[in-house]
Amino acid sequence: MSVARFLTRTAGNRETAQRFGLQDVLAYGYLVLGVLMILVPVLWTLFSSVKSETAVDSFDTRLLPLAQVTAEIEGEGKKPLWVLAEDGEERLVFKAGPTRKITEVSPLDDPDTVLEVPREQLSPHEELRIATENYLDPILKRNGQTTFDFFTYLWNSVFVTVAATLITLLINAMAAFALSKYRFRGRLTFTILIVATLLIPPSIILVSLFFVVWSFGIFGSLWGVIIPAAATPTGVFLLRQYMLTIPDELLEAARMDAASEWLIFWRIVMPLSLPALSVLAILSVIWRWNDFLWPLIVLISDPTKHTLQLGLTQFAGEFNSDFHYILAMTVVTLIPITLVFVWLQRFITTGIATTGLK
Amino acid sequence: MAGLMMALLGLAWVIGGSLWLLARRRYALRQAPQFAMDLLGVPVDLAQRVFGRGGVPYALLLPNLLIFGFFTFLPMLLNIYVSMTGGSSIALFDRPFVGLQKFAELFDCESLLIPKTCTNAGYNFWTGMWNTLLFVLVQVPVMVAAAMVTALVVNRDIKGRGFWRAMFFYPVMLSPVVIANIWNWVLHRKGALNAVVGEAQGGLTALAGMAGFDIVMTVLLGIVLMVVTERALRAGEGPSLAWRAVFGGLFVLLAAWAQPLSLLGLPGSTLAGAVLAAGLLWCVANDRAARAALTLAAVLAAAMLLAIQFDAVFDFGRYRPTNWLVTPNTGWPFFWLVFVFCWSHMGFYMLILLAGLQAIPRDLYEAARMDATTPWRAFWRITLPLVMPTLTVVIVLSLIRSFQIFDEVYLLTGGGPGRETFMVVQNIYEVAFSSNNPDYGQAAAGSILMALVIAVFTFVQLWLTRRQSEL
Repeated sequence: MSVARFLTRTAGNRETAQRFGLQDVLAYGYLVLGVLMILVPVLWTLFSSVKSETAVDSFDTRLLPLAQVTAEIEGEGKKPLWVLAEDGEERLVFKAGPTRKITEVSPLDDPDTVLEVPREQLSPHEELRIATENYLDPILKRNGQTTFDFFTYLWNSVFVTVAATLITLLINAMAAFALSKYRFRGRLTFTILIVATLLIPPSIILVSLFFVVWSFGIFGSLWGVIIPAAATPTGVFLLRQYMLTIPDELLEAARMDAASEWLIFWRIVMPLSLPALSVLAILSVIWRWNDFLWPLIVLISDPTKHTLQLGLTQFAGEFNSDFHYILAMTVVTLIPITLVFVWLQRFITTGIATTGLK
Repeated sequence: MAGLMMALLGLAWVIGGSLWLLARRRYALRQAPQFAMDLLGVPVDLAQRVFGRGGVPYALLLPNLLIFGFFTFLPMLLNIYVSMTGGSSIALFDRPFVGLQKFAELFDCESLLIPKTCTNAGYNFWTGMWNTLLFVLVQVPVMVAAAMVTALVVNRDIKGRGFWRAMFFYPVMLSPVVIANIWNWVLHRKGALNAVVGEAQGGLTALAGMAGFDIVMTVLLGIVLMVVTERALRAGEGPSLAWRAVFGGLFVLLAAWAQPLSLLGLPGSTLAGAVLAAGLLWCVANDRAARAALTLAAVLAAAMLLAIQFDAVFDFGRYRPTNWLVTPNTGWPFFWLVFVFCWSHMGFYMLILLAGLQAIPRDLYEAARMDATTPWRAFWRITLPLVMPTLTVVIVLSLIRSFQIFDEVYLLTGGGPGRETFMVVQNIYEVAFSSNNPDYGQAAAGSILMALVIAVFTFVQLWLTRRQSEL
């Protein structure tokens, strides 16, 4: 058996065997390239977020969080340590003067002597250290990081996401139930009205929505973010399509048993449309958690009402140079949605694809 | 005031509903969830009591329609009113009526195509509008094509399908803020991309400096070229589209390196190579003098191969990092916006297209294979027509979505450098919400114009595909 045949042989016998053709090579190449393009920036941010402040500031492109070791020197304070390589021998030193072509250094074990060595012989003494302070400082408000009120933002984000999703699910399911299971005057009009809103982009009603929300008195409160977005045409449409497949006989049977219409909705239709409901729930969670423009308009003036996304932009704007904190907080905002994704990914990809979402 | 009303309404609901329910039936303590469910449905039950079953659908629709009415349809009508008022008052009836003055301000230009000739308001608006149009015209085809290719690939019988699909969907989950921070970190002047590009170029240049590199490269590429040509030319066994695609790619690469047009003093060899390769693929796909065209192209490629000095190709000189998002007049900020937008939104459209692809019956492809149809032909004649309704939906949705681009641009470039990436939604946002002297009227007028443009685009799109559309 030749090497090439050995490498390309596949399962099955001579007739049924599928060769691993060039099309497969191209397909897998495309997939690997695409996934690299998606994962590398995210992972890069993740790895960078645990690097020390100096490493982040100097844009250290190495993958591992290597940080220069500092040591307390008597009479000098904290000094970064360098490795002096001389004749195959390595000594730990610290700088005793400014960095020039010939730099003055002192050995760690003998701080009083001053050596003059060429700069090229010095390399930073590094150790592997995960900079947890990038995360802990802003969250626990240490080291003067007082403006980023993590737990308030988290609570606001969670509240908006959960409340909006529950309301969305309930009222969209009610509307979808009415539109799919009853014949009444104006049914077509309502359906067309609701589906037509699919084509109205939120950003063109921005200004007047602001006026409406203001006159309802919910401007500047979390409800101003939750309520306007609660009725989504996508949700009604998706649930309606799904509920149309539920047989009417089930409902009739329940009516024979003198169940009220609400009981039918709650006890029969809702459990049966669980797959569609969960897809809508996932979508709603993504939309609300990631929402940016509308919260920016409604909530920006009150820092105690900021969501995580708003808090993060404000934070990044204020500390434009403190990349290590920005990266860490970015990762923190990324983690919940990534966990949701990892947990539900099988469901998301099959669910959205099979419920025929438009 | 409104808060008080809401509280009173809620109180009436909870207390009145509880009394009503408790009067009608008794609940044991463990039936608390059912009680909550009944309490939630009190208005619906009430409607059924009073109006019979005919009243129920209206009660069910009520909350949804209230929200749609107040927060979607009312703002649409209000937009027109607001656009005809001036001043910066938030109280709706305090605003002086100015008629069409706000529109006139936007249209006060010598030429709409050159925003510089407008007044200030018009300048900002039309700059944003033309930038957005350019963005949409570039971005929608690129994203739809990428989504289509990805959907086709993950629809194949590949290993770990679920994993690949999930990975491509993952960026859809990320928020614009996170996306902007991640890409800012990558595209920063000293960021990851510049480091990687710099290292790769340095490495290649060093490699090219070694003795004999030219000969080794030419021989290696020559062998690859021969194998690919042989594979692509092979008759009888069924023509292979994939091998021809590889050949086309190789050809473009060679043209880019050899720069044959530069002998005539012309630029643009890469583009010419790409056009040639595409034409070749088209010829071959339609089986028109395929062998002759392919042989000719192979001879051309061989000639180019012999002309290339590889150490010159890989000598990039000293690489200077580019400030991707900041340097003006390079087109890079715009490119990266398109890229990042595709990166983050492609997965969603890929999934919708995937659903469309999976609805195509398998036996159609089997019948096509019986008739020895090429995969290329099968794509044009089976896949594309049948997936067209879904494709239309995807195009319309992505068009509407791209028109609204704001978050990523605002956070990545802030509209800069200069006004190169200033989008129309950012103009609306800045006019109405982030200036000291907000001009709601002008912002509303801008939104109406934007709505008109979107409507025109959507209807043209739907009209063009009227026979296939599902909308």
